[in-house]
Amino acid sequence: MFKVQFIPMVLATLESLFTEGIRFKELVKHIDDLAYKSLNIIVVCVSFAAAVTIVEASFHMKMILHDDSLVPGFAAMLIVRELAVVVMALLLAAKIGAGIAAEVGQMKISEQVDALRLLGINPFNFLVLPRLLACLLAGVTLSLIANSVCLLTAAAVSVYELDQSVTYFMVAFRRFVVMKDLWFSVIKGMTFCAVIPLVSCYYGFRCEPGAAGVGRATTKSVVSSSIAIIVIDFILTYIFSHFY
Amino acid sequence: MQSADPIIELRGVGHQFDDLVVFENFNLKVFSGDSLVLVGPSGSGKSLLLKFMTGLVAPDQGEVFYRGQLLSTLSKKDQQSFLAEVGMLFQQNALFDSMKVYDNLDFVLGEAKPDWKSSQREAEIVKFLTAVGLDHVPQLFPGELSGGMQKRLGIARALVLQPKLVFYDDPTAGLDPITSRQIIQMILDLKKQLNATIVTVTHDMMRAYQLAGEIMVCFPRDFIKTGGKEETLHHSNAKVQQFIHGDVKGPLEAL
Repeated sequence: MFKVQFIPMVLATLESLFTEGIRFKELVKHIDDLAYKSLNIIVVCVSFAAAVTIVEASFHMKMILHDDSLVPGFAAMLIVRELAVVVMALLLAAKIGAGIAAEVGQMKISEQVDALRLLGINPFNFLVLPRLLACLLAGVTLSLIANSVCLLTAAAVSVYELDQSVTYFMVAFRRFVVMKDLWFSVIKGMTFCAVIPLVSCYYGFRCEPGAAGVGRATTKSVVSSSIAIIVIDFILTYIFSHFY
Repeated sequence: MQSADPIIELRGVGHQFDDLVVFENFNLKVFSGDSLVLVGPSGSGKSLLLKFMTGLVAPDQGEVFYRGQLLSTLSKKDQQSFLAEVGMLFQQNALFDSMKVYDNLDFVLGEAKPDWKSSQREAEIVKFLTAVGLDHVPQLFPGELSGGMQKRLGIARALVLQPKLVFYDDPTAGLDPITSRQIIQMILDLKKQLNATIVTVTHDMMRAYQLAGEIMVCFPRDFIKTGGKEETLHHSNAKVQQFIHGDVKGPLEAL
């Protein structure tokens, strides 16, 4: 049987990058599938997450401090350091992680993976590597987009809900957020987005036959990716805190 | 007429799933030009046997040889030449469902013969799609084809590289008798054209007789080579007789 373990799969995938190269046709297909087609859902969801953050922070600050003038600054910092990239990654884990696990799982149980092997095609190079590279690219671009959309929404909500000006928001943003925050956000985005295809392909390769098997593989993939994202977020946040 | 050296040889093969022993000290030789048919009850290990022979699964014990070389230790180059000689129709066809009919063959040719021009590939694809009667549906996806058409596409994909050794895992499963007969006839015609060695798994005795040079009846841990159609029909083994006649009562009840 084609038995897959996580670490050997990751190593074999990386090795195939150097020994067999990149399948650009597959890569382009997955950039479209995994990154571009996730854009709308990310834009919508992170916008609402940013709006909720501003409204909630304002409510509590007004209640306790009777002043919400610091909300834009704190919210901008929270958005760039955590909110945008974590919400984006969790959405991707659910959207593309489930899709990858189901697709690879279906290929495994319908013997398509065996058919690839019999053609002399390395399944890790063909199935995992293009998805990994597409997700890494998605990690960079989507985290930048998610941050931008979040900040624009936060600015809009600050103007309309907190009666603060755009200039005030921009000044607060500049005071609270530094360039390092943006770099760390992109690094987090890339790391989270690398985890999703690796975990999802792993569960896909271990998929048991039948609809229930595919269902279990997708569930495990989404749950494990989400847990991994949250744990890695803590680790990276802890590491990055030493750079301030 | 058999050549001296087997193209595939299984020596002392043993395999088990947890406590279920499927193979025990199993030996088999397949010679060039053979048409071996494996029949037997479900779960007796027929499909697994094909996967041993293709190297997709390594047996727990014993060795598999390809032209006298140990399959598990082939160099990358020898492995490539082995894979170039082998074609397989999988039990569930294993068609690439994200690719259209044409692309299923184009992908295989593109991978195996990267130096071929697209016009060369196209000529070959059209030849094989015509041979299996699918030349009118090149732009459909496998999911849009009937069961029989999917089988035929699977056969075309297995044969498009003109392999010398072809494995068919249940080529008539789920097909009506007429389509089954047509599929088997097509396999025989293509075997003749390509001068290939074929090993076929089937549950259908009529199709086994139609195909067979030699039949092997597979029971768990017990594999009996019964010979051609007449020898199989008159074989003295009670299990073989029960299986080929489909009797409910008999020694197989105990299995």
